[in-house]
Amino acid sequence: MNIWEKMLNVDRRWIFLLIGIACVVPFFNPLGLPILPSAEVMGIYDHIEGLGPDNAIIVSFDFEPGTAAENQPMSVAALRHAFARNIPVYVTSYWPLGQAMAAMAISELTDESLEDYFKYVEWEDWASIRDQGIVDRAGIEEAWTAEGNTLPENARGWVFEGRDIAFLGYLPYFHLVILGMTSSIASQFPTDVSGTPLEEMPIYQDHKSLRDIDLAVTSAGGSACVSWITYGREKIGLPIAFGVTAVMATDYYIFIQSGQIVGQMGGLRGAAEYEVLLKENGYNKGYGKAFIGMDVQNIAHLLIIFLVVLGNIAFFAGGFHKKTKLKGRR
Amino acid sequence: MKRSIPLAIVMVGGILFMIQYFIPHQHSQTLFDYYTQWAPIVGAFALVLGVGSLYRLHSHKIKRKAKNWQYSYAVLVPLFLIPIFALIMPESLGGGIMQNMGGDRVTQGVFDFAYLNVQVPIQATMFSLLAFYIASAAFRAFRAKSALASILLIAAVIVMLGQVPIGELIGKWFPKIGLWILRYPNLGAKRAIALGVGFGMLATQLKIIFGVERNWLGGAGK
Repeated sequence: MNIWEKMLNVDRRWIFLLIGIACVVPFFNPLGLPILPSAEVMGIYDHIEGLGPDNAIIVSFDFEPGTAAENQPMSVAALRHAFARNIPVYVTSYWPLGQAMAAMAISELTDESLEDYFKYVEWEDWASIRDQGIVDRAGIEEAWTAEGNTLPENARGWVFEGRDIAFLGYLPYFHLVILGMTSSIASQFPTDVSGTPLEEMPIYQDHKSLRDIDLAVTSAGGSACVSWITYGREKIGLPIAFGVTAVMATDYYIFIQSGQIVGQMGGLRGAAEYEVLLKENGYNKGYGKAFIGMDVQNIAHLLIIFLVVLGNIAFFAGGFHKKTKLKGRR
Repeated sequence: MKRSIPLAIVMVGGILFMIQYFIPHQHSQTLFDYYTQWAPIVGAFALVLGVGSLYRLHSHKIKRKAKNWQYSYAVLVPLFLIPIFALIMPESLGGGIMQNMGGDRVTQGVFDFAYLNVQVPIQATMFSLLAFYIASAAFRAFRAKSALASILLIAAVIVMLGQVPIGELIGKWFPKIGLWILRYPNLGAKRAIALGVGFGMLATQLKIIFGVERNWLGGAGK
């Protein structure tokens, strides 16, 4: 066995070890290389940037924990953008486990121990303001602060449950739920996950069906996102934005070209691009998890390319392209 | 009867809702609303069948002491215990289910604990393993053996470098060419595949509605 054959028959555990090191080291020595946002991600950002308190969006957690490393940061980024602009958000989930991912995202954005968090005001806490008949966003905040509530120093803003967010959660056969929501959101979700009737919520008064929604951001780890196009976009013209894993991203460029989606966040890179846009435009003081994770991708991609090149050099230099089989059969 | 009634339901339902889509009338909309409310309820009965079938399979395995029968307990115990903790047990005994995480309403019962500390890491780990296997597979299988394989290899390297910031440091044209590959050659190929799949789905659905394709009936009525 010559050196080339030894190289090609290297124990795969050495490769696993190299990848393991490549994944761990960047967390201790961050590279922080600049990321330029692509047109696909800017399409989503610009669309949300054009919305305000009178509009409403849906952020749907259409993934499970397996793809959370890629999907969660993009959902968090879209939610942060909406919260910062006081855009009412309906939060849904295509899969049972996605509901908990949504809860974790809301928890992350309202975590009082973190910088730039959003102070969450529970439904019951601002009942007195609703009793006064105040429903517009600016009026609610004014009345809330007039009651003596002050925004903590490291908080970015308030999130009023029922006005800024309605956490609807998961329902089975979600493609049918999307169809049903084209007529009425309350017909599918009579209450939010806490049991508060949707019809009592200020968010619902001006946004009763998907026809009143200005964007649905679906963060998906599978083909669930296509249901939003089939049943939302094609039936009533609902604007859709995709957040998908990197391996799926290549499949959905067709929807960008056809104008069926306003943009797409592809994999961790897409999420990092959105985080860069949020930071550059003052919606966040720091970067999120996706930007940090890109360091790992930098090294891992380089390593895989190096391995491919090395494998090809050994293959051709050893003359194995002329032989039918390697001795080690690995 | 076992075959003709399901076939009739599929045919009538399929044709009805094909037509309904194009009728913007209140009655048409009401029918559609009824359907979207009923369909998930009917579909939920599949859960009963699924759980029943799973229980039968694994309880038989345990009774017969079949190969790896011990693992069946790992299926059956959480299958019944987790819903009990989530839906029946009071919060003081570790019950409850994670609802809205905003504000102070945070529960940390058995259900949440199992989800956050078992299910999330397990699923994330399974997906993460891909990186290791892809690296190993790429080293062993990605060879420039032919002209087409060489084109594939070069395109893959360019797209991989174009997707990460370090690629831009190596060569400013990497992201541009990478995006061009994704936006044009990739898009063209995917469009062709999507159209083919779309026409195939349309043909299959028409065959099902009109009773030409009957495999979905399984062995019913035979």
